[in-house]
Amino acid sequence: MAFLLRRLCFYLAAFVAAATINFFLPRLMPGDPVQIMFSSAGAELPPESLQALKLTFGFVDGPLWQQYLTYLGSIFSGDLGRSIKYFPLPVSTVLGNALVWTVGLMGTATIISFTLGTFLGILAAWRRGSLFDVIVSVGAIFATSVPAVVTSLIVVFFFGFTLNWFPTGYAADPALDPAFTLQYLGSVLYHGILPMLTLCTVLTGGFAVTMRNNMINLLGEDYIVMARAKGLSDGHVMLWYAARNALLPTVSSLAIAIGTVLGGSLVTEVVFNYPGLGNILYQAILARDYPVIQGQLLIMTATMLVANFIVDVSYVLLDPRLKRA
Amino acid sequence: MKTQPFGLIRNRKALVGVAIIAFILLVAIAAPLLTPYDPGARVGRPHQAPSLAHWLGTTRIGQDVFTRLIYGARTSLAVGFGAGLLITIVGTALGILAGYRGGKVDEVISFFTNMVLVVPNLPLLLVLAAFIGQANPWVIALILGGTSWAWGARVTRAETLSVKQKDYVKSAEMMGEPRWRIMTFEIFPNLISIVGINFIGSVIFAIITQATLEFLGLGDPKVVSWGTMLYAAQKASALSVGAWWDILTPCFALAFLGIGLSLLNFAVDEIANPRLRTGNRLGRWSALIRSGEGRL
Repeated sequence: MAFLLRRLCFYLAAFVAAATINFFLPRLMPGDPVQIMFSSAGAELPPESLQALKLTFGFVDGPLWQQYLTYLGSIFSGDLGRSIKYFPLPVSTVLGNALVWTVGLMGTATIISFTLGTFLGILAAWRRGSLFDVIVSVGAIFATSVPAVVTSLIVVFFFGFTLNWFPTGYAADPALDPAFTLQYLGSVLYHGILPMLTLCTVLTGGFAVTMRNNMINLLGEDYIVMARAKGLSDGHVMLWYAARNALLPTVSSLAIAIGTVLGGSLVTEVVFNYPGLGNILYQAILARDYPVIQGQLLIMTATMLVANFIVDVSYVLLDPRLKRA
Repeated sequence: MKTQPFGLIRNRKALVGVAIIAFILLVAIAAPLLTPYDPGARVGRPHQAPSLAHWLGTTRIGQDVFTRLIYGARTSLAVGFGAGLLITIVGTALGILAGYRGGKVDEVISFFTNMVLVVPNLPLLLVLAAFIGQANPWVIALILGGTSWAWGARVTRAETLSVKQKDYVKSAEMMGEPRWRIMTFEIFPNLISIVGINFIGSVIFAIITQATLEFLGLGDPKVVSWGTMLYAAQKASALSVGAWWDILTPCFALAFLGIGLSLLNFAVDEIANPRLRTGNRLGRWSALIRSGEGRL
């Protein structure tokens, strides 16, 4: 419990750090940042949006520390200001809608690739040096050293444009109304296959390599030899003696991988024109919509911290030593 | 033993890696000799398919794709190695400092390291780049160096903790050597394999990230690099109009270089660290790459 509390405090500090970066960046811009943002967005904004923009970045009358506290206060009450591009929609609404798609895509891809990668790693380690091991290891190197942008573009070119098997954009058929109907859900699944395939290609290799190496380190342990000596079946020793213990460090590597997943899904969404955070961010960058750009850093940091915390909790559940501590 | 053929294949992998990097480096250096065109000039009709005059076709505005590819390699390599060096220097210095000094210094550095590790790297870079505006490659290299050192610092610190217990460090301390001398001449040389792996991992990360930032429109579109090639091709809807050569060329170049560098990482590890013949090697390497979202 103390462990989880300590982690929570740390995550809070990390979030405040991200907010602090957001607070100071516009103040480091030369000239009047709000005016610059206002003018770079074009002339079609109503004058009251200038005031809203000032409030977004905490430009209130008062000394710097007061501005900072005001800014932090509004962040923690969930007010991220208003978008310039979609004025007068609040940033939190714009990003909230997108977050659902991103988390859905990321979550599913992480679960699939973690499961697949772990099993490939277990088998590769079990038959170390075999053809299967070489294929998995070399394949993992190839898949993990190719940037997600490249993987996305190649997948969309091959399966989308050349073979015409899958749609190359949107999360669902735009002609359908979003509803919990079989038709709509089917369309979501159909549109999600290519982005999912890309993310899984990018992620699986890393999990497989981590699991393989953890397994190999364990296979020489006495209790494995003992399990074999007891005459247990190969599969039983592999899964219940070796893999179970090798899984622990793999779970902690999952926490590190979440950043990769986020970055990967960001790029993948742009290529597949998928309505998640990455795509919103891309549009915001093109339109120089600074409140949205800043808001996404906070949302993504929060997502990453929540995911990290989930990993922490599962670590405590998996490792009985931590529960007692 | 069954592991023998696997070890051989690994060495071959290292060789292939060095060959790939050397090849790309040579082509980049010899770029003006290999092509009659200027990378920015319009030298043909828009979106011409590959032909004898234009080996890899032309872009939307009629630039020669092959010319842009080999000139772009210069930018991508320079930024990759420059930023990689910066990331490694910052990470190694902080890691050794934290590990050797311990106490308050360690606490402060470790706290910041862990914090940088949990703030997602790519979104942070995007925000920084967006405020800078259209960043040229060197600005990108600089902000990469400033934000991506955390994993290197963490790994170096852990290794420093074990090295500083060694007898030769203790004896140097007894002799009253100054701290900076112990850190640079006693500890650093013994971390060289970690530093090397960190460096190559950082180069891979920097090349990928630079390309990603530029692809997302945060680079300077006038600069010729693989990232801006991707950006221009995507903006010209190269795939939907069927100009696959425009977009797949930088794609395969990036993939090729990424694979080459990863393979080279094995070589460095094997040369610097003959003891490390266990599977752990791969793990450390992949963790290093993935750390700062090495692969985006």
